[in-house]
Amino acid sequence: MVREFKLPDVGEGLTEAEIVTWLVEVGDTVTEDQPVAEVETDKAVVEVPSPVNGTVREILADEGEMVPVGNVIITFDVEGEEAEPVEESADDEDDEAVEDAVSAVSEADEEDENEGTAQQGGRTFAAPSARRLARELGVDIGAVSGSGPGGRVTEQDVRAHAEGADDEEPEPAVKSATSKVTDEAEEPATSAPASSAEAAGRDRTLAAPATRRVAEEEGVALDDVPTDETRDGEAFVTESQVREYAEAQRAAQAADAEAVTEEAPETETTAEGEVERIAYKGVRRTIGNAMERSKYTAPHVTHHEEVVVEDLVATRERLKPVAEERDSRLTYMPFVLKAVVAALKEHPILNSQLDEDAEEILVKHYYNIGVAVATDAGLMVPVVKGADEKDMLTLADDVNDLATKARERSIKREEMQGGTFSITNFGAVGGEYATPIINYPETAILGLGALKQRPVVEDGEVVAKHTIPLSLSIDHRIIDGADAARFVNTLSEYLENPELLLLE
Amino acid sequence: MVVGDISTGTDVLVVGAGPGGYVAAIRASQLGLDTTLVEKDAYGGVCLNRGCIPSKALITGADTAHGAANAEAMGVHADPAVDMAAMQSWKDGVVDQLTGGVEKLCKANGVNLVEGTAEFAGEGRVRVAHGGEGQGSETIEYEHAIIATGSRPIQIPGFEFDEEHVLSSQGALSLDTVPDELVVVGAGYIGMELSTTYAKLGTDVTVVEMLDSALPGYEDDIARTVRKRAEELGVEFHFGEGASEWEPHNDGVRVTTETEDGETSTYAADKVLVAVGRSPVTDTLGLDAIGLEPDENGFLATDEFGETAVDDVYAVGDVAGEPMLAHKASAEGEVVAEVIAGEPAAMDFQAIPAAVFTDPEIGTVGMTEAEAADAGFDPVVGKMPMNASGRALTLSEPEGFVRVVADSETGFVLGGQIVGPEASELVAELALAVEMGATLEDVGSTVHTHPTLSEAVMEAVKNAQGHAIHTLNR
Repeated sequence: MVREFKLPDVGEGLTEAEIVTWLVEVGDTVTEDQPVAEVETDKAVVEVPSPVNGTVREILADEGEMVPVGNVIITFDVEGEEAEPVEESADDEDDEAVEDAVSAVSEADEEDENEGTAQQGGRTFAAPSARRLARELGVDIGAVSGSGPGGRVTEQDVRAHAEGADDEEPEPAVKSATSKVTDEAEEPATSAPASSAEAAGRDRTLAAPATRRVAEEEGVALDDVPTDETRDGEAFVTESQVREYAEAQRAAQAADAEAVTEEAPETETTAEGEVERIAYKGVRRTIGNAMERSKYTAPHVTHHEEVVVEDLVATRERLKPVAEERDSRLTYMPFVLKAVVAALKEHPILNSQLDEDAEEILVKHYYNIGVAVATDAGLMVPVVKGADEKDMLTLADDVNDLATKARERSIKREEMQGGTFSITNFGAVGGEYATPIINYPETAILGLGALKQRPVVEDGEVVAKHTIPLSLSIDHRIIDGADAARFVNTLSEYLENPELLLLE
Repeated sequence: MVVGDISTGTDVLVVGAGPGGYVAAIRASQLGLDTTLVEKDAYGGVCLNRGCIPSKALITGADTAHGAANAEAMGVHADPAVDMAAMQSWKDGVVDQLTGGVEKLCKANGVNLVEGTAEFAGEGRVRVAHGGEGQGSETIEYEHAIIATGSRPIQIPGFEFDEEHVLSSQGALSLDTVPDELVVVGAGYIGMELSTTYAKLGTDVTVVEMLDSALPGYEDDIARTVRKRAEELGVEFHFGEGASEWEPHNDGVRVTTETEDGETSTYAADKVLVAVGRSPVTDTLGLDAIGLEPDENGFLATDEFGETAVDDVYAVGDVAGEPMLAHKASAEGEVVAEVIAGEPAAMDFQAIPAAVFTDPEIGTVGMTEAEAADAGFDPVVGKMPMNASGRALTLSEPEGFVRVVADSETGFVLGGQIVGPEASELVAELALAVEMGATLEDVGSTVHTHPTLSEAVMEAVKNAQGHAIHTLNR
């Protein structure tokens, strides 16, 4: 029978990987665990082993090709194996392949993992408080690697596992490398490096008395402050590390949902008058850092255009009751999303990312469109995944759903990651044109002004028409002004003639 | 519904007010659930009324009498007279105080108390028949039911409990006079506790046991220590003999036993106590009505949340399976109440300690050395004999030992077996160690009070580490 082999999930959060080299050719006989390909994740090259003994039947991806995780990359002819549902067997192999891929990279690390896990004889060694916490967080405590004496699982280990940080322990070579890169790439919102906010949880830490006093003042446990320094073989922590960690902790806490209720701002009276001091931290600072990074990394150019949308207004008015009958609230946003995706398909360079390290432009063939939402806590950008595959009402529901979650702060991190292009609707509050800041590392963002009647000249006469002002900011490193203008022209055409969207 | 019934509704219906049921009811009520507790007999269940508490009361009485009478070596000369009726009324006072306390606690926590016998009448409904003629019945509709009906002593054929000649453990705990001679059928923990107690009160006790040793389920050296002491107290053991019949004889009984080979023996005594174990009470609950079927031993299978095969019906304590121990019932009761209230609770106890109140006492928790090896550990064992403990010698109770079992690789404490004075108390430290995932280092480096028995635990741990001070290292 034929056995399909899908590209396994080679690292947390990684959605695709590049096939570097095929180590086998069609017709080759392979044995189980024999490496068949080298796959490059963001930082590591991983060997992908064959799941079976058999013959290579087909190779379905080219060297150098970026392949989404889960795509079949190779098939094998396996003799004497009973026919079974291909899908299932492939899935089974997937899991094995993940483990194999990981073990291929770092067998030594796996041994470490075993030593570090307090699970033996069917028991996981952990205090009842840690076990309860695991249940609270929905963590299988048996899967947590312990950092306590003898490998006992501590509450901190459970929390780390729940936050995904635990992966660094068992599978450092692949997972930590890739997850860090994807975190940075997909979540520009993270200001402080994740590691500095993470508690180190040592048993013993050396520090100068002054540092200890600062730790006390900052309410920080010295054992939790990350450091690479040692004295006499023991971890050594400096004052600045304590302050940095305390700051990171505060930022992390502020980002928590509970922290929405901020402490009352301080006010002070200067010679000129009363000044209110509000801590620049938490989500505000995270947004600030992301904006700063984008503005000073990507040279922004903003292209403006006004588009007449009489037909769009009429179409939406017609369809709104129909949508309501189907329990959907139809705003203009789904139309804009449809039009944007259609325009991106015609001008793919706007759906891209610059991989500065590799000096390569990544043009994305998938369409995850971020829609900026103003929330009490600040700007958030939930992402409508696979916007090209969704119909109008699904898009409407997705946007409404994500926006609600963002406002309620119940949105998951993954739901704000992986965007390829963003839209910001500043017109909802009021305004014509603006300079949207690119949601880095994306390379373009579309700003929508207020949709309202404005004077338009038609056949020499000034008439009132519904128009939308468009502001498209581009990363001028990759996208030229002409590209931007062409994209906006296409987009305008779709918005002017929404029936064209029927063809999309 | 039967005509004349009144019907009420409740979030949580608990059947049985023993240590599993009343704890579940109080906890559920604390968590804001409307809770109804049905009890047909007495608050506190077997534990308070017919088990743990009365037996420990009598054991203390017997110890006091026996201790006083045997303290010549300490220079104390006494000839105590035992007034069994007075001892019983003291014991009853203790029991009454505790059962009254349970009732008060339930009320203070807002638990609705209903007296009567509960029987399932269908999905979500229980009928409670109130005691006595014409007392009527009521139907209670529940969202969640917790079965906590406990267990009853097992009868053996031909030995029906009349509590006159043939005593159950309950009857044995209620005797107004000390029998001169007693035959005890069964050398399990209940048989051994009561044999020792009556031996100390001056009864000539003969134990017949079908198996070939006392305290099956405990390691040989533990069972041997306890049996040896019982023999010193005058208890006579006959192993490999099963009780086959009894007949009245003079004012007492004559018990016939039979070996596997068919050899018979007879033992005459005032009374015969049958203590061959307990079986869960699940046959009177009308479980058919909700489609719930106990296993062949009468137990209800439950998952880690205490839920049975039927949704929203939970079981705790003896009905939920071995070990049949009050503290296990209470622990399960709390978990189930929290589960019903939506708390992240589950029964993931690593070990449930057990105690036997013989002389000397036994306290065990977690794995034995053999069990640890079976589970894939490389066990290391440390031991401290009680005769090396200063406190044990000053108590004049030098028999026994503390043994700790740990994993040699990680040092995790996996279990412990203690036989000796206050073993039931001492085992708590090892239970905590097992539950916490503590290592030998953790326990051994904890400073223990001197002069106490608890030092023996520390010493056993240090012995396992190879650096005991007060004993020779293994």
